[in-house]
Amino acid sequence: MRIGVIVRGATLCLFLASPFLGRAQFQEPTKEELAMTSDPKAPGAAAVYLYREETADDALHYHSYYERIKVLTEKGKELATVHVPYEHGNFKVTDIKGRTIHADGTVIPLTAKPTDLVEVKTKGFQVNTMVFTLPNVEVGSILEYRLQLRYEDNWVSSPTWDVMQPYFVHKAHYFFNPSHSGYITNSRGQNLNRLMWALRAGKDDKVMENTRGQYVFDVTDVPPIPSEDWMPPLNSLNWKVKFYYTQYNSGADFWMNEGKHWLKEADEFAAPTNTLRQAAGQIVSAGDTDEQKAHKLYDAVMKLENTSFTRQKSGAEIKREKIKQVKDATAAWEQKRGSSDDLALLYVALARAAGLQAWPMAVVDRNRALFDPEYLDVGQLDDYIAIVKIGDKDVYLDPGEKMCPFGLLHWKHSYAGGLRGSAGGPGYGTTPPPTYTQSVMQRIGDLYVEPDGSVRGTVRYVLSGQEALHWRQLTLRNDEDEVKKQFDESLRESMPDGVQATFDHFLALDDYSSNLIAVVKINGSLATATGKRFFLPGLFFSSHAKHPFVEEKRTVPVDVKYARTEKDDVTYHLPEGYSVESGPQTASIPWPNHATLQIKAQPGSNSVEIARTLAYNFTVLDPKDYDSLHDFYQKVAAADQQQLVLTRTAVAKGN
Amino acid sequence: MRAGKRNELANSVVLAALLAGCLPAHAGWFNKNQPVPDWGMQAYKTKTPDYARDSAAVILYDEYVETIDGNGRAVEREREAIRILKPQGRENTCAVSYDDSEKVNYFRAWTIAADEKQYQAQDTDFVEHGDTEIPIMLSTRKTKVVHSPAVDVGATLICESEEQMRPYMQEMTWHVQEGIPVVFQALEVDLPPGRPHAESWHRHDPVKAVEVAPNHWRWEIHDTPALNLRDIPSAPAWPALAARMSVQWGQAAIDGRDNQWRAIGQWVTDLEANRPDPSPEITARVSQLIAGAPDFYTRLQRITESIQNDIRYFIVERGIGGYQANHAADIFRNRYGDCKDKATLLISMLQVAGIKANYMAVDDERGVVDPESPSIYGNHMIAAIELPADLNDARLHAVAKASDGKRYLIFDPTNEHTPVGNLPYYEQGSFGILAAGSASQILQLPVLSPETNDTVRTGSFTLAADGTLTGAVDSSHSGPNGADLRWIIKHTDEKERREYWETHIAHDLPGVVLNSFQFVQASALNKPLEFHYKLTAGQYAHSAGPLLLVRPRVLGSFAMPFDDKPRSFPIDLSATGHWHDSYDIVLPEGFVVDETPDPIDLDVEFASYKSSITAKENKLHYERDFVVRQVEIPALKAEAFRKLQSTILMDEKGTAVLKKAGTAGL
Repeated sequence: MRIGVIVRGATLCLFLASPFLGRAQFQEPTKEELAMTSDPKAPGAAAVYLYREETADDALHYHSYYERIKVLTEKGKELATVHVPYEHGNFKVTDIKGRTIHADGTVIPLTAKPTDLVEVKTKGFQVNTMVFTLPNVEVGSILEYRLQLRYEDNWVSSPTWDVMQPYFVHKAHYFFNPSHSGYITNSRGQNLNRLMWALRAGKDDKVMENTRGQYVFDVTDVPPIPSEDWMPPLNSLNWKVKFYYTQYNSGADFWMNEGKHWLKEADEFAAPTNTLRQAAGQIVSAGDTDEQKAHKLYDAVMKLENTSFTRQKSGAEIKREKIKQVKDATAAWEQKRGSSDDLALLYVALARAAGLQAWPMAVVDRNRALFDPEYLDVGQLDDYIAIVKIGDKDVYLDPGEKMCPFGLLHWKHSYAGGLRGSAGGPGYGTTPPPTYTQSVMQRIGDLYVEPDGSVRGTVRYVLSGQEALHWRQLTLRNDEDEVKKQFDESLRESMPDGVQATFDHFLALDDYSSNLIAVVKINGSLATATGKRFFLPGLFFSSHAKHPFVEEKRTVPVDVKYARTEKDDVTYHLPEGYSVESGPQTASIPWPNHATLQIKAQPGSNSVEIARTLAYNFTVLDPKDYDSLHDFYQKVAAADQQQLVLTRTAVAKGN
Repeated sequence: MRAGKRNELANSVVLAALLAGCLPAHAGWFNKNQPVPDWGMQAYKTKTPDYARDSAAVILYDEYVETIDGNGRAVEREREAIRILKPQGRENTCAVSYDDSEKVNYFRAWTIAADEKQYQAQDTDFVEHGDTEIPIMLSTRKTKVVHSPAVDVGATLICESEEQMRPYMQEMTWHVQEGIPVVFQALEVDLPPGRPHAESWHRHDPVKAVEVAPNHWRWEIHDTPALNLRDIPSAPAWPALAARMSVQWGQAAIDGRDNQWRAIGQWVTDLEANRPDPSPEITARVSQLIAGAPDFYTRLQRITESIQNDIRYFIVERGIGGYQANHAADIFRNRYGDCKDKATLLISMLQVAGIKANYMAVDDERGVVDPESPSIYGNHMIAAIELPADLNDARLHAVAKASDGKRYLIFDPTNEHTPVGNLPYYEQGSFGILAAGSASQILQLPVLSPETNDTVRTGSFTLAADGTLTGAVDSSHSGPNGADLRWIIKHTDEKERREYWETHIAHDLPGVVLNSFQFVQASALNKPLEFHYKLTAGQYAHSAGPLLLVRPRVLGSFAMPFDDKPRSFPIDLSATGHWHDSYDIVLPEGFVVDETPDPIDLDVEFASYKSSITAKENKLHYERDFVVRQVEIPALKAEAFRKLQSTILMDEKGTAVLKKAGTAGL
């Protein structure tokens, strides 16, 4: 259950809380509901919601919740415990009533008093959770409860209805009676005299408004919240209805006006002041091309302290050190520090000061959510990036992401929607998707196989793009020893059983414009033997790797975060007296326009070199493409199991 | 996977363990504009010792003073100084945990930054967190955490707090080892005149206390290394290895370990007295359950399984409720409860059936309860069921004998899937406090024989010439192995189960398709759980010129993590047990076996492993047998452990070579 959020109303409500609300009755179960042991609409489900009801009344200042849940398996009993988080002080949880109904119709009422627990409390903010658990729950029971969330008369709280639940919902009814006082204001003092809503649900589901200006949403057969590996952020999948008090006529109107407001504030922060013009003048040369200018300014901003990766100073420290809060780009430049957002806007300011066309863009962090234009809230935008015009191209830059090379966006900011500035003013935008050439992990192994089957050698990891950025950013929040340990731990996943990899050293860890190189020592027991032969994993790094997408079916899109390439090149130096009997077969497994796997083995005099390249050039895939993805990875997984067979030639001669 | 989740019997202790990196100082209310106290300045002057330089942070100073009043209630003051040594060390801070029955008198914090500037934490720098993360727990415990200004590399955080402790608790556990080193630490216990105390140490040499004032005792420890198990494969539980000291000033403050354990057991007995009193409803239910039961075992089984099946696990931690169970009648009526509630209802129902049972306080991690360190320290409650002297039933394995000769069947009703007579593997070999009034004592829980934890898996497969493997697997799991599977079945729906098994099997068979799967659960827990599934794995065998390479060990791995580094900690083998695999692979037409790996027969005392591959007509047969006889072995057996693991690994990777019939051998 979400936490209630409130909007201040300008006048006190004239109504008193209506006593009829507390009289709401429970629904009698039908014979079919009592007898139910499984649900054909939700095969194998642990529980189903028979009915859900949410009522929000901003005239009477309460939300109410009512649920009827059928428990179908042991796991479904977990739903007997209900947690109701709420903002303490502004809301109260009241009128909790509940009961358990056994399959034979026996009713056991909730008698234990709910407990109000502190979730988190700071000086000015407190969130509590009301907890209760229904009694005597069995498989087959119907769990039933209702409660109210009340708030002060001078507040309104337009509802967000989370239509999808952890389990299938047979039927749900939602009702909203908005405040008609006409005096609702936002934090800028603007009068919010209209109501809008955003809806994500089934194609035939509609919010209906009645003649009294009240809203009803009825829905049946709601699938459960999806739960799969490699899912895009849930905000893009969950069914939801959200109401807004607003001064705008439409979503487009909202984004146009709020976009203007947003851009005005960003531009004010990123004003190219004389200080910044002077600074830019010292960084760039008159003869520099636009790209050279953009690059030099980028490097200059990267040198500053990014407090999002170190530590933001507290108010007490700022006061003690007699420094100013970073309130604009000029202050960030003067103090040589700022948060990621501060530095992204500083870059825009410096670029403008150097005569470049540059704009801010505020994007949604794709690791958290996808941009949703139907969600009328600028607060969904997480981070700033910069756009600079070079030639006739918009180049997207991420100066707020410490260690991110020029021209690359952190993957969470790539293929991400948001608001951007442009010569024509504010507008929507989406950053470019990552490509497989941007993020490459190359593993070059030089391995010596001993006659006892053990192996020793060195592997050089050459990392670019996101692969390098991850480790470089880790170094900002951890010392190098810790990064080495984490690198070591990450290696274990790709090492064959019995083989240990020990990280030795990094090269170019501080140089974000170069590839990051990690040198790793390898030793351990690798080969297995029969009387005449040795067997080695043909694909050293992939034989033990956990291959994704093993499930056969998929209902939601696949989000792999970013496109990437793995390039492996391993040379096995053979023990004396052994020769290659057979090796991995040359293979080319294409998935047109999406991915490819290439394998090639090249025998030498006393060695064999095996190269493998796996590249995928997609970020998000529609579920209809899942069969192809599954099929491709099945082939990859099988190909990766090939072995290198050595024959004991010396022994054979002797025999 | 562990079946049946823990109850937090000693919640503060568990919290302390969870916060190992952010050592609990004590919270209280903040006081504005006070300078760093003298003790803090002195602590700050401590040089960072060389042995701490690889740590993320170091505790320079940590002192507890427990002032005990005439009723035995403690007021605890803690002073602590932590220096941040690395960026990741910034997360180290001070915190204080308290419940309804405790009161924080004050909590102050200062930072001396790397540039020597001093800051005092303001009220906006404190955050209070509830204990609300576990969905099936209702806990009123809260933790106040300070996020002091200027806590960065080189800074020293200084905290002082005072808290009035739980009125019913007359012992303190002093955690002398943490995840970061401690340069200096001290504990003082200031007792009323004439009140005795007793101390005991776990994994630390005893330190002699100094009487700094009449009946006011002080222990000091210098230079305690960090305990870090991050890179230690198959290590015992962290709290089992971490040094600690327990000091008693209540009933257990007496001479002699046995007397102390008896007193602690008596305290538990008194605390839970009358809680198991049966209600008429309980009596009626038991009568119904045991009607017609032919013997002791059947009566026991029917009662234990009714609790395992019917009582939902739900924890309520409210003040003394962290230790004291609810009344059996309430538990029975509500059909939910935590570990001590389940033990209470069990004792109650057994009492109706004429079977005597006692509480047994344990920890759900082996090695935490230490017979040499009498204490209530632990997080779980189970039951010890008294066996009639003349009863000898081969189905009752988990039997421990008390010093008075009585035999007790140890049973954990919280674990909903381990049948009575057996014992969850994580409790085997550990110690528990038998709470039997004046007969209370520490008892070692038995380590059960391998046959009590049995898995037999057979597979019949057909290999096609293109390398595709199809076939069926049937497995049978009893004892804790079966309990683990039952736990998975209970906590997943059908979709999750399929995904789990597809992913699980894909570890051995990349590209596998699970054609069907079915669990067959016998109604009784003492019957094996069966699992049947059919699969297809494309390109399971690979062509190598004229040869076809196939791995006879199709499924399942017994190998445990190991490394070649010198070993000082014991090796945790997890569970005793017996596992047997038998796979037949019908070869593709025209192929015969050219070569197979050699058979293996290794016995290393604590375990044995045998495997063989045979070829007969058109079939390749793989068979292996793995037996583990101990749950933990000392570090000096590390070499044998490595040998066992590498042998298993090599066997699991072994390849059989097939060739076309009539082709000459190489």
